[in-house]
Amino acid sequence: MRASHSFSARLSRNILLITSCLFITASIVIAIFSHILIGAEATKNATNALNATILEIEKTLSEVEAATKSVTWLIEEHKYDKEYLYHITKQLVSRNPNIVGSAIAFRDDFFKGEHFFSPYSYRDETTGVITSMQLGNEEYDYFNMEWYSVPKDTKVPHWSEPYFDTGGGQQIMTTYSTPLFDENGEVYAIFTADINLHNLTKKVQDMKPYNNSYAIILSPTGTFISHKDTSLILNKTIFDIAEKDDNDHMRKIATEMTNYKSGVMPFHNDEANAFVVYGPINNKWTAAIIIPFHDVFERLMRMNIIILLVSVFGLFLLFILSLRIIRKLSQPITEFSVSAINMAKGNFHAKLPEITTKDEMRMLYDSFHYMQESITKYISELKTTTAANQHYESELNIARNIQLAMVPTKFPTPEDFDKNGFELHALLHPAKAVGGDLYDFFTKEGKLYFAVGDVSGKGVPASLFMAITKSAFRFTTNLSTSMQQVMNNINAVVAEGNASNMFVTLFIGMIDLASGVLHYCNAGHNPIVIIDKDGNAKFLHARPNLAVGLFDDFQYQEEHLTLERGSRLIIYTDGVTEAENKAKQLFGDDRLIECTNGTPFEKSSKEVIDNIISSIHEFTNGAEQNDDITILSVKY
Amino acid sequence: MKVTINKEENKYNVILEGRLDTTNANQFQEDIAPLMEGANPDITLDCTAMEYTSSQGLRMFLMLQKSVNARSGKMVMTNMKPQVKEVFDITGFSNIIKIL
Repeated sequence: MRASHSFSARLSRNILLITSCLFITASIVIAIFSHILIGAEATKNATNALNATILEIEKTLSEVEAATKSVTWLIEEHKYDKEYLYHITKQLVSRNPNIVGSAIAFRDDFFKGEHFFSPYSYRDETTGVITSMQLGNEEYDYFNMEWYSVPKDTKVPHWSEPYFDTGGGQQIMTTYSTPLFDENGEVYAIFTADINLHNLTKKVQDMKPYNNSYAIILSPTGTFISHKDTSLILNKTIFDIAEKDDNDHMRKIATEMTNYKSGVMPFHNDEANAFVVYGPINNKWTAAIIIPFHDVFERLMRMNIIILLVSVFGLFLLFILSLRIIRKLSQPITEFSVSAINMAKGNFHAKLPEITTKDEMRMLYDSFHYMQESITKYISELKTTTAANQHYESELNIARNIQLAMVPTKFPTPEDFDKNGFELHALLHPAKAVGGDLYDFFTKEGKLYFAVGDVSGKGVPASLFMAITKSAFRFTTNLSTSMQQVMNNINAVVAEGNASNMFVTLFIGMIDLASGVLHYCNAGHNPIVIIDKDGNAKFLHARPNLAVGLFDDFQYQEEHLTLERGSRLIIYTDGVTEAENKAKQLFGDDRLIECTNGTPFEKSSKEVIDNIISSIHEFTNGAEQNDDITILSVKY
Repeated sequence: MKVTINKEENKYNVILEGRLDTTNANQFQEDIAPLMEGANPDITLDCTAMEYTSSQGLRMFLMLQKSVNARSGKMVMTNMKPQVKEVFDITGFSNIIKIL
């Protein structure tokens, strides 16, 4: 038996299959839920990071606004003290690390005759030295600058679009401009504070909730203020990128962001799949954090791989263990099959596997055991029966041999008819199971004695009964020539000790060969057939008396008649008239008369008998003979 | 041979159907065993449907008759078909068994 085809391997495989399905389903469910949870978690993380970023920027900006506001009263008080105005700007820069430069740009002709006047202080980022100067001149006509003109016209503080500072290196800057008003409510100067956005954007870029996440800050026009790709800063707008990539996602995100909306959106481009969390900063700028899916779900993927590996290992272990366990549990089945093969080979005491459990194996064991016992018992019964049958067969053979040995088989030849004064032939044809017919004949002192009988029974008892009857016939005919006396004696002998109520129907007769007088006595036997010299056959209905062997004191009565020369007697047993064909019809009296009627004188007794036998065979047509057939035919 | 025995106290009405021959004589002997016991039996054997009896069968009827005689009982066979009656007549059994 190959292991892969064995019961245990198949069962283990099925268990493995089912468990695998369960594992896979569970893993998929876990993966989906984890995905959802981690996605939500990531969104939350990103939102938090974004909010922190926004807060940081807003804090910086409002610090700048507050610092600026806090010195406007100083300017107001010292607006005509040029030296002090320089001092104010210098102090503002030196006291606020976020502010890299500050100017107070006065309107034209505020100081009589001076077109430009704008005290300005700035910090050199590399050295930290603060330098003061007058900003405005013909080349730097600040009246047309955004930082001056916008707050002057709108009369509200203004944050400029970020720009690259041309003076102090490639620093990205933005300027907070607040208008200063005189007693008449007219703007007489614009007070500015410059902020280096580099530090701010660096802070923003450092805020990474995930390894590969990054933040962007956009100006109201969608220009990049902060981006990990610095070449984009102040150079491109988000719309440029969206158009360049023809990316609908980005277009949508750009629109949302420049409208100061906040939210979360998926984002796909050639580089990565990600999602974007975005929100406005002070309704001025807008910030977003881009988190690649890969970063978010990397740990999940790693976890899934670990789960998968553990599952595969676990399933492998399960397979090996279940294979072993099942093989151990089903071991008795293998042993039972060996026992069964041994039993099939005839070893009915084949050893059965030992079963200590009280389960189905126990039931199987019990069944096997029962089967063994039953078969053994059956076989032994069969042996007994066979022996009995053989015994019975041999008994029947013995009975048949006794029967056939008892009857005379030497007959006078037909040629000696004239010399003997009679001619006789007889036949005993035993049936398979019955051995009770008999005939006998002999001549003594010019007389022919004959007898035909049928014992009710079969086997050895019947044949012994027949032997007794025949012996009694021979013996008593020595003592008496009276047929009724002979029959009385036979009856007495046979009836004596006949506990089993067997009986013999018997016809005995004695022909005086000189006179042709027939004395006969019938003991319950079939009517005999008489054929006269012209060949006419008829039954002789003799007095029945009673079958021999029943009542030992029964008194038989004999009869007599005189035979003409050339007439015949046919004495037979009921095996002739009761021969059956396959339709269970009997040969019957009429057919017997029919086949014997018209028998010519020349025919021998043997020919008469042969004719009757062939008629019977023709009638029975192969049906089994179930009773002895005996015919004795005498020609006088 | 089918044997149906209807008993009412010591009266037995026995219905015999079919053939009685060597092959079923032993079975018949078992079937009529209930008739072989009890005092003063009054047995009627209804032979309306009895088709045939062999010498073995005759022996059974004889045994029954002897048993009935020994127990001071009565036994009668009724409605016998002619071909069956003939066997009883030929063998002389009609002389020892009452046949109506």
